[in-house]
Amino acid sequence: MRNRLFFYLLIMALVTGAVEKAVSGEENRPSAQTVIARSDAVRNPDRPFRLDLRLTEYVNGSERNEVILRVYSKIDRTSGQFKNLVSYMEPPRDMGKAVLMNGTTMWFYDPASKSSVRISPQQRLVGQASEGDVITVNLAKDYSAKLVGPHDGEALNDADRKPRKCWHVELTPDNDGAIYGRVEYWVEKETDRPVKGKFYSDSGRLLKIAYYHKYQEQLGVYRPSEIILIDAVNTKLVTTINSSGHHAMEIPDSWYQREFLPHLKVE
Amino acid sequence: MTTLNIAARNITRNYRRSLMTISAIAVGTMSMLLFGEFVSQIFVSLETQNVTRSGHIALFRSGYFNYGAGNPAAYGIRDYQDVIGLMGEDAFLKPLINVVTPTINLFGIAGNFDAESSKTFVGLGVIPADYNIMHRWDEHHLKLGTTAGDISLNEKDESHGFIGAGLARILGLCETLKLGDCPERQRGDQETVQTKSGRNKRDFSGLEEEAKQTNSDAGNGPAPRLDLLAATANGAPNVVNFYVDKAIVQGIKEYDDSFVIMNFNLAQKLLFGRGEKKAVSIVLQLHQTEDIPVARARLEKLIKDKGLDLETRELTELQPFYKQAVGMFLAIFSFISIVMAVIVLFTVVNTMSMSVMERTQEIGTLRAMGVKRKGIAVQFVLEGILLGLIGATVGIVIGSVAGEIINHAGLTWHPPGQAYPTPLLVRTKGVGHLLFGIWTGLGVMATIAAWIPARRAARMKIVDALGHV
Amino acid sequence: MVLGPSGSGKTTLLNLVGCLDQPTGGKIEVCGEKVAEITDDRISEFRAKNIGFIFQNFNLIPVLSALENVEYPLTLLGMKTSERRERSMSILGSVGLSDHARHRPNQLSGGQKQRVAIARALVKGPSLVLADEPTANLDSTTGAAIIDLMHRVQEEYGASFIFSTHDPQLISHAQDVFSIRDGELIEHRSEG
Repeated sequence: MRNRLFFYLLIMALVTGAVEKAVSGEENRPSAQTVIARSDAVRNPDRPFRLDLRLTEYVNGSERNEVILRVYSKIDRTSGQFKNLVSYMEPPRDMGKAVLMNGTTMWFYDPASKSSVRISPQQRLVGQASEGDVITVNLAKDYSAKLVGPHDGEALNDADRKPRKCWHVELTPDNDGAIYGRVEYWVEKETDRPVKGKFYSDSGRLLKIAYYHKYQEQLGVYRPSEIILIDAVNTKLVTTINSSGHHAMEIPDSWYQREFLPHLKVE
Repeated sequence: MTTLNIAARNITRNYRRSLMTISAIAVGTMSMLLFGEFVSQIFVSLETQNVTRSGHIALFRSGYFNYGAGNPAAYGIRDYQDVIGLMGEDAFLKPLINVVTPTINLFGIAGNFDAESSKTFVGLGVIPADYNIMHRWDEHHLKLGTTAGDISLNEKDESHGFIGAGLARILGLCETLKLGDCPERQRGDQETVQTKSGRNKRDFSGLEEEAKQTNSDAGNGPAPRLDLLAATANGAPNVVNFYVDKAIVQGIKEYDDSFVIMNFNLAQKLLFGRGEKKAVSIVLQLHQTEDIPVARARLEKLIKDKGLDLETRELTELQPFYKQAVGMFLAIFSFISIVMAVIVLFTVVNTMSMSVMERTQEIGTLRAMGVKRKGIAVQFVLEGILLGLIGATVGIVIGSVAGEIINHAGLTWHPPGQAYPTPLLVRTKGVGHLLFGIWTGLGVMATIAAWIPARRAARMKIVDALGHV
Repeated sequence: MVLGPSGSGKTTLLNLVGCLDQPTGGKIEVCGEKVAEITDDRISEFRAKNIGFIFQNFNLIPVLSALENVEYPLTLLGMKTSERRERSMSILGSVGLSDHARHRPNQLSGGQKQRVAIARALVKGPSLVLADEPTANLDSTTGAAIIDLMHRVQEEYGASFIFSTHDPQLISHAQDVFSIRDGELIEHRSEG
């Protein structure tokens, strides 16, 4: 009698287990949060590093402006986000200018006036300063991920019109520091590479679309060497961000202070 | 045969001289009256303009008024509905209040990116139904609203509102909003291309369409669309669609070039984003301006009793220009009054001195008969007073008539800070105190003026006076 | 009567007696009052009550009618309107000007004006009437009439008349004649 009961229970367990497996489809489907975390790791090295960025602005497809920056990035231990120290290399009129970004705090230093000015969020609504937050952000830290779209992935054309099989994930803010009200993110299934992101404001309007492509090996991982950033508010504006010269290095915490800005010397 | 009677007869002795004196005083009185009425009209107009726009008293979070304009979200009033309810139910305040409504002050960037234009804007978020009621306030029965045209805010659609005419021009909406006088746009210096790689083109088609689509979907009838960008309380960029129903000329250019008035809910969405929805200020409009002190005192008491972290500011603090304009006009009026008083003084002194001199022998006779020094002085002072008061009365009568003529002449002018030509009016109602003040003031002036020659008359040596031919 | 040539000081003397002026030295006593020692207001009151004046230029108040001119001293003394009116009309009648009561001085002849002046001087029943050259601006006929009048009213009302003159017609009417020259009394003749 007890044996029969046990037997039934065993069958039930197996059956439900099988059904569950059938329902979930593949084995080892990762959680949405994990997917995002892994895509973050594709974009961002796990140790302090330096890289060169070329930002090119296009208006109606024509190049309008280009700057070349050297960026020193390091994870801030409390927030889990990167803090960035940026130095302008090109064009010559901007050389020597520096920007310090840490969370929502941004300081701008101008060698001509030898003074550093705090840039408030109100002042970063348009222009170059508004582009910074898609580059080194760790989405998994500030957002909760949820798989939307098909369970076994969605087909999506990347920036080069090549179809990719992606997890379609929706991100919602986890804390007040998260900049976007909502993010739609596509991560390639096999490679954990981010393909596309759509970033929405708190009011629900689309702010930016980002395409990640031209993957190259940098610091041991294939990372996107170009991000195409399409402004969804000023729709004539497209910015491309090309990264190169990744270089792991020790960066002292003292660099990430406003007082250090005038002393930043770039080799 | 009273002294007054005698004084009156003496005035008519030299008919022409008395007439001249009275005329001078009358003209002075009339000028003061007309200018005083003009200034009164300005005061009342300014008050009405300001009260319809920003009410009588505003409540803010403590510190907002002095420090908060750069970051209004940080000074939000939470539970603003409760505070409003508190005021609406207070037995003392309730009968005084016409409207009590929450507002949001914010700033950001307004963009018409299709026309490649954007500009910083200063925004006011109001509840349209309340705002429209506030706009009809007219304690002094000026009926100003009729000249400025119908400017009721759209009560139905949250995403609609008004902007300043200057802002409309800057954003390339001059023709769309029918502003008239839309000159060909000069572009100024365009950014020169500064790229290392040279002037390149790239084809983003296929990628861009998606972005463009989301905006063109948002068609909403004839009202042109703007993007309003602002940073939320948490520092995140936020943007909303805003449809401009009308561009309204604001008097002051800086204001005109950045003014946006929008629905309270839209402003809240933009400024607070996903955070807690608050208000930046609570505005009270009373029925009568003179109730400000009592209403404010009561508000302060309620705030203190409930331990709220709020401060109150009233009309003259909220609109320093109003206070300054009032101050300036008062100063000018005072100056003119002094000038007029001095003229009356000199005129009467002159007239009375001549009179005294001519009647020297008569003064001697009176003194011989036993009139005391004081009696002589009183006689002449009375004559001076009579001249002054007759002149003042005539002046007031003529001035009142002139005022009516001016008011019906259909003149207009452009006061500072006003966008539209305003009817040139002088205030003839409710200026009783002005009339009385001028009349009495000039009477006093005439008295003082007559006193000087009268004293001289009183002090004459009788013998010399009698011997004077 | 005070008699003397021009510049002899008769006007000054009359002024002093009439309390219109203060002596530069010495004392004055008029009808029992030490005039020099009291306030101007009291002097005025004294004059209003006790002294009447008649001037050579008549010195009527031009804006007042004949009656009002006569009433004036009584107004100063605070008399009631009805009584004032009655007395004034009466004395105007005495000087024969009842018909001209409402006339202004500019409507009267010289003689009529002086008669009004006389009435005015006497209406309050003063102890003293001072007349400085009362007939100087009148022709001899009128002057004589005025002199007669003054004589009559003096008897009727019992006031002491002091007048200065160089009109010889007046001399015969004077009880006492004081001749002065260069500010000094040189003769005093009395007619009993």
